[in-house]
Amino acid sequence: MRRRVCSFVLMAIGIAAMTFMGGGRRSLVASAGQPPASNMEVKIDNFSFGPATVTVAAGTTVTWTNRDDIPHTVVSDDKVFKSKVMDTDETFSYTFAKPGTYSYFCSVHPKMTGKVVVQ
Amino acid sequence: MIGVAKALDPQTALLAKHAQHVVLVHFPIALFLTGVAFDWAGRWTRRKALGEAAYYNLLVAAASTLPVLVTGLLAWQFQLEGQRLKGILLLHLVLGFTSSVLICAVWWVHFRARRQGAAVSDYLWMLEAAAVAIVGLTGHLGGFLAGVNVG
Repeated sequence: MRRRVCSFVLMAIGIAAMTFMGGGRRSLVASAGQPPASNMEVKIDNFSFGPATVTVAAGTTVTWTNRDDIPHTVVSDDKVFKSKVMDTDETFSYTFAKPGTYSYFCSVHPKMTGKVVVQ
Repeated sequence: MIGVAKALDPQTALLAKHAQHVVLVHFPIALFLTGVAFDWAGRWTRRKALGEAAYYNLLVAAASTLPVLVTGLLAWQFQLEGQRLKGILLLHLVLGFTSSVLICAVWWVHFRARRQGAAVSDYLWMLEAAAVAIVGLTGHLGGFLAGVNVG
């Protein structure tokens, strides 16, 4: 009886271990199949973009979040991207597909400028 | 030095799209507040010269609301491409229109009284006080939007 219980416990432990290992392998395969995480955050606060210059790989999505009490916009100099007016805590995202340097500014406060360098 | 030269360049100033609004807006505000102060002082001291000063300040204040309104609307069209406004920007727009109407109304009451050779109503101070409050609030919001009133 005791031997049967022991073998049952061992079998349960074995099944659990296999399940964990299999699951881990699956998750490894899944993450290997996905493109690398490519997001960049830029905060708008106190009338400035932070960081003012970001360098990212092509395909990266940059998200601007307005942490200011004042409405702001994000507009590229060459009008490649252009946000609507963002109130506090609103966001704007743009995916940079092509390499290059993208300078941008806030159209409400043109002194606020930033740059995205896409490699 | 280049910045100073650029700031004094008329072309830079005129083509700055929305910059004129934040410059011109000070004229009706200052003239109106001064006009109301002269009006109240004139009524308090019963000095006619102060009433005259009040009238001409209010006249120019009312006239200068027009370019301020136009440049404000142009700023909306140029800088924000006329997109639907909300929050502080919308409030600033509505209060800006209200302020302009009140400034012109105060001047018009003075103008009508002068044309009829009569004294202005004793209750005009209430309209003037309301206009001062609205103008002040509009200016505060404008300063907040421009980053002047931010601590």
